[in-house]
Amino acid sequence: MQSVAVDGVLIGIVLLMAEFLAVAFSGRRGPTGLLLSAEQILDLLHYAWAAAGALVLAVAWNLFAGQIGASPGRAWVRGVPEWETPLEWNRTLRGWFAAVFIELTFFTGWLITELDLVTFLTKFGKAADIVRGLLHPSGGVLHEGLVLLVQTIFLAFMATAFAIPVAFLLAFPSARNLTRSSLAARLAYTVARTLMNFVRAVEPLVWALIFISWVGIGPFAGVLALWVHSVAALTKLYSEQIESIDTGPMEAIAATGASPLQVLRYGVVPQVIPPFLSFTIYRWDINVRMSTIIGFVGGGGIGYILKPRVDLGEWGEVGTLVLLIAATVWLMDVISAKIRERIV
Amino acid sequence: MTREAAIRVEGLGMVYPGGVRALEGVSLEVHQGEFLAVLGLSGSGKSTLLRCINRLIDPTEGRVWILGEEITGARGARLRALRRQAAMIFQQFNLVRRHTVLTNVLSGALGRSPLLPSLVLSFSAEERERAIGCLERVGLGDRIASRADALSGGQQQRIAIARALMQEPRLILADEPVASLDPALRHSVMRHIESLNRDEGMTVVCSLHDIDLVTRYATRMVALRDGRLVWEGVPDEFDHATFKDIYGEEAQPASNTGF
Repeated sequence: MQSVAVDGVLIGIVLLMAEFLAVAFSGRRGPTGLLLSAEQILDLLHYAWAAAGALVLAVAWNLFAGQIGASPGRAWVRGVPEWETPLEWNRTLRGWFAAVFIELTFFTGWLITELDLVTFLTKFGKAADIVRGLLHPSGGVLHEGLVLLVQTIFLAFMATAFAIPVAFLLAFPSARNLTRSSLAARLAYTVARTLMNFVRAVEPLVWALIFISWVGIGPFAGVLALWVHSVAALTKLYSEQIESIDTGPMEAIAATGASPLQVLRYGVVPQVIPPFLSFTIYRWDINVRMSTIIGFVGGGGIGYILKPRVDLGEWGEVGTLVLLIAATVWLMDVISAKIRERIV
Repeated sequence: MTREAAIRVEGLGMVYPGGVRALEGVSLEVHQGEFLAVLGLSGSGKSTLLRCINRLIDPTEGRVWILGEEITGARGARLRALRRQAAMIFQQFNLVRRHTVLTNVLSGALGRSPLLPSLVLSFSAEERERAIGCLERVGLGDRIASRADALSGGQQQRIAIARALMQEPRLILADEPVASLDPALRHSVMRHIESLNRDEGMTVVCSLHDIDLVTRYATRMVALRDGRLVWEGVPDEFDHATFKDIYGEEAQPASNTGF
């Protein structure tokens, strides 16, 4: 059953990619007389037919596996049958299927992402203006840029600082090795992990938009957006650190008759504090970089004045701001690396 | 009047998740005041047996009593109260490496300390005094403020003994306490454990693999092989044939032990 499902999905994808390429190379034109775009072709494909065909083929392949060789799904679920293992890939149907699958993926991908080497190699001229501007930064925006750079650094700092206590408390229920003892602990683990995975999956940019409409445009919205994302990211890093601790001291403290909280305080916390500090400084570093993008949508900081200059094509001023950001990121990187070296 | 056993183990069995069987049908009694050595190859179940006694590991079969009270099945405060009666000493010392020597010893008092102050590493003056006393007994009274990991292996194990002493237990469970120490330091650590047994009247259960140490310190010994109890006796009865029984035909005594 499982093997038919795996085969069905794989064969279905192959059928759809084959149809996509067939339409693309048929020279069919849309109502406007132009060649069909990738999106238009994707719209045309016969998904239901492909699914039905894939199901039939998958069932057939599984039924006749003894004669024509194991299907990918069957090999995945039950392992490759003994009589097939000594064969080269091009002596088995499964091997040919894999080869066709990979080729089709590559050609389809080329068309769907609209790769165009000719344009890439011949149209550099348009970008030259931008590069020239970036290489000739203008001083006009330097003062304003420096002021907002300070705001950016503090924005990232506040977001990180507020994230520490929340992530610290969430890290313990999120650590697998501490949450196996009871049903309630397992439940706390599942809830904490699911929540944090969801928060982390949402881009900081989206959080910024949410908080901008909540508290208005400005650095506070940026702090909140980075804070939410940092909590989720730090919780994950912290809890992974907790999962990798030496359990010896925990055992020793538990053996004295200490309570679970005391075991955490003496057996776990001292071991994880230095790596926690190191992760936190690293996170501050990341937040400085991210706050630039957050600023683009109105979250304060240097990104906020970068956006209008990009829109107006003032490449000299953009160059100044980009250099300021690059220098700060580089400096934070060096400093945080040095501090982390000392702590661990 | 017969005194209750310090430890009673009945039909103890342990199968780890994943199916590895570490103990099978182990029954034994440890009398108060004795120094019981547990022998066996590594992997024979010695560590598992010791950890099942204070329930650091939950046995899958059988029952254990500490000083007449059943610890298997005990939960929460009752389990912790029973654990306080049995201090543990580990092969890898298991100190809190980043804490000071004194804090490590004070952690032995956690079972009887009020929760909130203990969470900020605060202990009463009386307990601190007692901890310093414990350190002086193991000859480390001058290293109170050092970080635990700044000390040598032998010294770290003596801190662990001071921590056990601080617990004011009636039993000591020692899991290969000298196996990761330099041979020259083994007797100094063993003598401290012996003093807990002789001077404080604590019952000691100590796993050891060095026959020399067993015959020198133990008053009675038991041997495990593949998770089963295969021999029980006093050091005088231990001979070459017994050695082969416990360790297998291939084994040779590691040092010249006289047989």
